[in-house]
Amino acid sequence: MHYPWWYVPNLTSPMLIAMIATVHVFVSLYAVGGGIVLAGETSFAYKVNNKSLLDYLRSHTLFFILLTVVFGAITGVGIWWTIALSSPLATESLIHIFVFGWAMEYVFFVLEVISAFIFHYYWGRLDPKTHRLIGWIYAVAAYISLVLITGITAFQLDIGNWTPDKGMWVAFFNPQTFPQIIARTGASLLLASLYIYLHAAFKLKGDHQLRALVENRTSRWAMAGAALVTVGGAWWFINLPDSARAALAGASALNILSILVFASSAVVFFMLYFGPYRNPGWINPGFAILYFLLGIAATGTGEFIREGVRKPYIIYNYVTGNNVVVSDIPKMQSTGYLNGGTWTKAFVKAHYPQVMGADGNIADSKLLQLPPQDQINLGRVLFQYHCNDCHSVNGFSGIVELTRGWSKDMIGTVVTHLDKAHFFMPPWCGTQAEATLLTEYLVSLSPPSPSGMRFSSVNAKSDHTFANQIEGEEVSK
Amino acid sequence: MNPQDLIGPVSPLGNPAPFWFITFFKVLGFILHMIPMNIWYAGMLLVAIFATFGKNHQLELAHRLSRTMPIIVALGVNLGIVPLLFTQVGYYQFYYPAGILMAQAWFSVIAILIFAYYGVYVYSLSVKKNKSTKFALASAWVSSIAFIFIGFLFTNNFSLMVNVPNWINIFNKTNIAGAVTGTALDLRDPTLIPRWLMMFGLAITTTAVFIAFDASFFKKNATSDEYRKWAGKFAFRLYAVGLIVFAAMGSWYIFGALEKSTLNAVTGQPLGLLLFALTAISPGFVLLVLFGQRKGVRGGAVVTASILQFIVLTLNAISRQWVQNVEIFRYEDVSKLPVDIQWSPMISFLVLFLIGLAVVGWMVAKIAAVEKQAAKA
Repeated sequence: MHYPWWYVPNLTSPMLIAMIATVHVFVSLYAVGGGIVLAGETSFAYKVNNKSLLDYLRSHTLFFILLTVVFGAITGVGIWWTIALSSPLATESLIHIFVFGWAMEYVFFVLEVISAFIFHYYWGRLDPKTHRLIGWIYAVAAYISLVLITGITAFQLDIGNWTPDKGMWVAFFNPQTFPQIIARTGASLLLASLYIYLHAAFKLKGDHQLRALVENRTSRWAMAGAALVTVGGAWWFINLPDSARAALAGASALNILSILVFASSAVVFFMLYFGPYRNPGWINPGFAILYFLLGIAATGTGEFIREGVRKPYIIYNYVTGNNVVVSDIPKMQSTGYLNGGTWTKAFVKAHYPQVMGADGNIADSKLLQLPPQDQINLGRVLFQYHCNDCHSVNGFSGIVELTRGWSKDMIGTVVTHLDKAHFFMPPWCGTQAEATLLTEYLVSLSPPSPSGMRFSSVNAKSDHTFANQIEGEEVSK
Repeated sequence: MNPQDLIGPVSPLGNPAPFWFITFFKVLGFILHMIPMNIWYAGMLLVAIFATFGKNHQLELAHRLSRTMPIIVALGVNLGIVPLLFTQVGYYQFYYPAGILMAQAWFSVIAILIFAYYGVYVYSLSVKKNKSTKFALASAWVSSIAFIFIGFLFTNNFSLMVNVPNWINIFNKTNIAGAVTGTALDLRDPTLIPRWLMMFGLAITTTAVFIAFDASFFKKNATSDEYRKWAGKFAFRLYAVGLIVFAAMGSWYIFGALEKSTLNAVTGQPLGLLLFALTAISPGFVLLVLFGQRKGVRGGAVVTASILQFIVLTLNAISRQWVQNVEIFRYEDVSKLPVDIQWSPMISFLVLFLIGLAVVGWMVAKIAAVEKQAAKA
């Protein structure tokens, strides 16, 4: 509300966050788990003096650096970049709460980069003890950066005891932090193992003995990872706030995805046990690709669910999905949503000076005196700032299809009772007059029900029932 | 529309640290970021030029630079996080709108940077494997152009951040029902081009010092005396070129583009005038030191030049911050925003920062010992 809204047609700008965050997490988890596995396996190779294993690990380190230090690091910065563009108010709040958390993470990033390069470029030039130590410095630094960022993302899902007068540590140690750290630790080890299978399947194609050793040893990390994912995932579920649990149960897409993530994790676990653990050497390139894709599917789905159940908040109970501070909502409902936004107010002042009051604010009473087309135009402004965070017009979660066949009354009722119609939507944050403007705009978009369907008389009746139902709920309270 | 109308309210959370602390780490972070950033900014173009047209030592220089470039880029990207972080804490009312108004270009920085970075690796690995291909050469060119273009986009965002009147023009031209398309740049700002090119000139000077440093200290056993002689001379000449660009663009920026009221606000104070004067003349001292070693790099002279160049970058960063504060304070005195200091996280960060420095120092000492041993052998 305090910043201009970035309009991305058909997609919505927050979807860009999801796109970058998804590809980032595939690599960032590998950056953490891979660091731990590489440090552990290099220590083992030195201990047993296995030169061919050391040579393989060296070649894997270059692959690791090329992927994590370049793609992983830049997409990580990319998330930060994109949230500032697509969710500026939530980002402003997070930065004010966690600036020193991010600053600490930065220290570990720098340690990661320097130790990763030294680990690779000075392989064979440093004495084994120092080399091992550098590997572990990387692993510890990468792991702490995982812990720090997980505390921040966990806070978004459940702020716990935090209130604006409390500091960073109260925010950091929220009920979701430890479950998510455990789940992500597991996911990082599991995913790192799948990357190693993929790399080894191609790199060690002709060396069956070494490949079997790599597979067998990696499968231990992978199975430990799978176990941690299960424990962390269960703990995460137990600690979920009611709204998130209800969202998980209520949204059919999340239902399906939850089953998918458990099913693919279970398949991967059994494949790990009967494959590389019991029968090392089984993993050919095709099998490795399949493993990898299953792991990616499970990880991506898990992250999607983690983000999805947070609705209607970006920061639970503090900032809503449409970038409104929760405590500002009552004031906006009384003095107007357009008035409450810096850029919406400036826009109205410049384009519709006739609705400005003597006090310099938008006069709510004048809004409905505007000509019909201007009302629709202002309704569109309201849609951009109040709804476009989650809904496009015609594309992703498009409002046109969501309101297809709805009557004007039905749209009006849903607009003024957003959080009642769907508890995972924020409440209507404007005045009654503004709700009318938005309704007029949505009515101008809403297409009729698909032709050929024969429920028209029943539909009219259900419209009535629907409106009464929501109003009835209000009265009963 | 009044520019003041577009500045959002103050965060109810309060700044987690005093303004001086935020500014200190913003400036310190920017200085640390500028060192590697300058080297890839101008250095990658040098790599592309010499890899395509260079011979003998020029080609050797391109190869040496390209070998270290992946590490330089990685360090630079990570060191860039801190100044951006503290910019978002202290200047959020200005930083976020500027980025959103040019969101498409700003968002594209991520994709361009990934291409540029992989381009660096493609060329670097081709040099390592001694297999120079047209694809590798093209990658070096794409990277160098991409880095310079990213610099242009950064200059846009940070000039737009203080150019609040232009927010109105952009908002009026690029909004769809009040929401911006993010297709703008700050092209109407007279300071844009001189600031962008001034930084490029500064980048050339830092790259010149790095070339001398590299010839003096990195993989000494892999260089010949002839190369070291050539590198000393070349570093001096390159620095002179960079200084000319820096001086010309800096003069354009200060006397031709910067608002008089801003200039007067800085130079009207004795300390501001002294800072500007030192910023302008300080590269001359580095040039003199490099002149002294033009017949062959010498460790002592190169270390002196490096320290002086660090001071040059520091003076530039402080001057820039001063000007930025003057430009922003006319809309909102962000130094007076409410503060709610987070003591224990702040102390934790400072302690970890020191521990981090110690660990980095230990790692660098270890590899320095390895290099020393290799040089002896």
